[in-house]
Amino acid sequence: MSTTVQDRAVQTARKAGSPRSLARQQAAGQWMLLAPGVIWMVLCLVLPMLMMIYVSFWTQTTFSINSTLTLDNWVAFFSTPTYLDSLLTTVELWFVTLALIFVIGYPVAVFIGLFVRDKTVQTSLLVLCVVPFWTSFLIRVLAWRPMLGTDGAVNIILLKLGLIRQPIEALLFTQYSVVIGMVQIYVVFMVGPVAFMVSRIDRSLIEAARDLGASTARIFLTIILPLSLPGIVVGSIFVSVMVLGEFATPSALSGDKVNLLGNIIVTQVGSLKWAFASVCGVILTVLMAVTVVALLRIVNLRREI
Amino acid sequence: MERQPVLRGLLTGWTGLFLVFLYSPMVVLAILSFQSGPEGGPQFPIEHWSIYWYRQLFNLVPASSVAPLPLGSALIRSLTLALTTMVVSTVLGTITAQAFRRHFRGSGVVFYLVVLGMMVPGVLVGLGMALTANYIGLDRNWCSTVFLVHVVYTYPFAFLVMLAIFNRFDRSVEEAAWSLGVSPITTFRRITFPLIFPGVLSSMLFAFTLSYDEFPRTLFASGGDLTLPLAIYGTFSVEIHPNLFAFGVLTTLFSFALLAVYATLMTLSVRRARRVAVQEEIA
Amino acid sequence: MLDIHSLTKRYGGEAALDGLSLSVAEGAYLSLLGPSGSGKSTLLRLIAGYETPDEGQVTLDGRNLTTVPAHERGIGFVSQGFALFPHLSVFENVAFGLRYHARAPLRDGAEVRRRVMETLEMVGLTDYAQRQIQQLSGGQKQRVALARTLVVRPRLCLLDEPLGALDANLRQRMTLELRRIHAALGITFFHVTGNEMEALAMGDRVVVLDAGRILQADAPDIVYNKPKSIAVARFLNRYNLFSGRTDGRGGIAAAAGLIAGPSTADQRQASDFVDFCIRIDKIRVQTEAEAIGPSQAALPATYITSEFSGAIITHLFRLADDRVAEVEDHLSHRRPAEYAAGQRYRLVWPRDEGLVFPVSAAVVEAAIRRAA
Repeated sequence: MSTTVQDRAVQTARKAGSPRSLARQQAAGQWMLLAPGVIWMVLCLVLPMLMMIYVSFWTQTTFSINSTLTLDNWVAFFSTPTYLDSLLTTVELWFVTLALIFVIGYPVAVFIGLFVRDKTVQTSLLVLCVVPFWTSFLIRVLAWRPMLGTDGAVNIILLKLGLIRQPIEALLFTQYSVVIGMVQIYVVFMVGPVAFMVSRIDRSLIEAARDLGASTARIFLTIILPLSLPGIVVGSIFVSVMVLGEFATPSALSGDKVNLLGNIIVTQVGSLKWAFASVCGVILTVLMAVTVVALLRIVNLRREI
Repeated sequence: MERQPVLRGLLTGWTGLFLVFLYSPMVVLAILSFQSGPEGGPQFPIEHWSIYWYRQLFNLVPASSVAPLPLGSALIRSLTLALTTMVVSTVLGTITAQAFRRHFRGSGVVFYLVVLGMMVPGVLVGLGMALTANYIGLDRNWCSTVFLVHVVYTYPFAFLVMLAIFNRFDRSVEEAAWSLGVSPITTFRRITFPLIFPGVLSSMLFAFTLSYDEFPRTLFASGGDLTLPLAIYGTFSVEIHPNLFAFGVLTTLFSFALLAVYATLMTLSVRRARRVAVQEEIA
Repeated sequence: MLDIHSLTKRYGGEAALDGLSLSVAEGAYLSLLGPSGSGKSTLLRLIAGYETPDEGQVTLDGRNLTTVPAHERGIGFVSQGFALFPHLSVFENVAFGLRYHARAPLRDGAEVRRRVMETLEMVGLTDYAQRQIQQLSGGQKQRVALARTLVVRPRLCLLDEPLGALDANLRQRMTLELRRIHAALGITFFHVTGNEMEALAMGDRVVVLDAGRILQADAPDIVYNKPKSIAVARFLNRYNLFSGRTDGRGGIAAAAGLIAGPSTADQRQASDFVDFCIRIDKIRVQTEAEAIGPSQAALPATYITSEFSGAIITHLFRLADDRVAEVEDHLSHRRPAEYAAGQRYRLVWPRDEGLVFPVSAAVVEAAIRRAA
């Protein structure tokens, strides 16, 4: 019994008179609440994705495209080293970024969630992590250029501190710069969920374990890590979604030297090669789907909400 | 755990370094925005400090070889888009979460269908929308196709926030209102909504933020008229100038102002809602 | 005025209510007593309309409520946690039902004010109208919840463990308050509790519920003095319970000894399984030397200790089967007796005061199977 819609449905059910038909009418009311959202997602998400799969099988010539089904585009992808390379690079950078984000962000999340007692300080720290987000993503990516260049901020500081003799070339316009950029921008997506899960851990659990003589390492492995797992899963999903679809960061920070699948999609669409772009799109979808399904096996997300 | 001073010290240090890492580009950005112009470039060293580029943003300097950022109308479009997306996705998120309060068959399918919207990389959604629009002959436009994909992206977030709020909501106050003869809609309006309002506010803030800076989906789904991120991307491959950084600084300050507004609203509404019926504050 | 016919409600295969039928007269005060899990809250929720039954129906003044939504039933509900609206003041809480009633909202501000203040006065909270809910104590919240429900003049008022959250002193005061309000307003009250003393004190009729079924529905004194089954006797917490077999000569062979059964009990066959109980305040303690008359029953026991609670003292004795029996002594009637720990005594009572309940064959078989 939740809204006027259900209310009206219930009134029409009076004619029926049995508890069972009342329950049925209540269910109908629920579906009326769900309909707008479901229809929106089916029309604006599922349909476009299906369209993408469909188009990946279309025949594409240099100047036109038609809907005759063929496997040409797929063959072209998997037989061209450049594209396979790009697939490999995408997966590589994805794993590296994810790993780095975990290594860098997890301790921060544990610190905020577990070691900071004051709720206000906790919230403030989290807000502090989110604030950079409000500067446009693109501008933030661009800001790394003057940081990482040969006469960029990092090199200037390292030179001044006497830690290096010559400016490090490899910082900009390489894979490293792309990784650094992506890590910095997406690490918050790991810190947030993990900090949230960790802060929900009952302190008395840890105290009880201490009383029973458990070492810090043991407490971490048996209590903190497992209980923070849903946060790690959510964070990993978020990060993976962002990283797999990336093209702006590689474009800005590697001078188009690093070509991820996302970049390929952009360039192909730029020259109206829709079918080929769709092939890349489907591959990315498969990567994402496999990851999400695997991660959701580990943790039942619905229960955590 | 808190009583481990060494561990605590290490983690505090790590977090400190982390924040430095997080904020360093912003600091660099801010410093470089004060680069002299119009010859100064977006890299070190600073020739001499000036607010030239800030003034250039508002067209307060004589014309030079550096074109002003084409931001005016793009900004308005982004704001409009973000506001409408915020409203629509929060409404959708709330009614969907409301339906989830009572179990129904197929709830798992619906749940993952909605959540799918935030699990698909932006490029793909944008690409798919562009393909579909071409196929059915719909023009790609910032207020049609882009709006649709923005909602696809923000609706799941709003849904999850409201779901979490409702899961912690004690329904006995609603039942009490019914027993007094108050209809379910009036109950929702006068009892439920005021109590879930902090969640609705968070959800709206989330949705606005996500939509305002949304880039990959928008890139493919838009027509000729650009949103703000698109306009900025346009200047990417062409030369970058410090006016972009000045713009970045201004937007950050604007965001801080928004945050202050949000914090005030939140404190006011939380004081009203008390913490009896809603047991967790989501900031 | 309220009729419940064969009400059944199942949760995941388990029946919380099992074919329950009950009639409540207008203006009555009905107490519903039962342990947790007996289905009493479920029954209330079904009457209020918060949930729908799987079978059966609820009728109010002849009107079938099955398809009537909760907000149209005109049945008030005071829940265990009071469910006060946290974002509204006391006044606004009480005025809520008046102002926003679906059928007949009261628009006249002055009239609303008059009725709210009138009801607040009835519950003794006149000066608290402008307070915020968080500033109230448990007892005050309870009274606000009551006022809020009563101001809209419901036909029937359901109270779910209303005194549960209150301390003993407050509970006693509220017991009187509720009776006074009931007498003043003439509304039918349906009071659910797990506390047997509360149930007996409040209602003109006590309904004892267990496992979704009604065990007994009678006036409090009848329930107290003549429990219909051993289960009811157990809930009342005022009886010593035994089980055994009849010996065909009016006696019951229990593990604690041979009990002389009431003479009014019909001649049962020997070896019938029966349950037996005797109220703890009907027992006297005698030394082994003293004689036992033909109209008395007796059991040997060893004294353990006594519990003192004001005007009542409860002596604990260990029986031959190692269980503990209670003997209650009211100090206003007798001088406190002194017993020696570990000393053997005899618990004596008039035979006819005992209660015998036959045990069905099915129960016996189940018990045998369990023991095996």
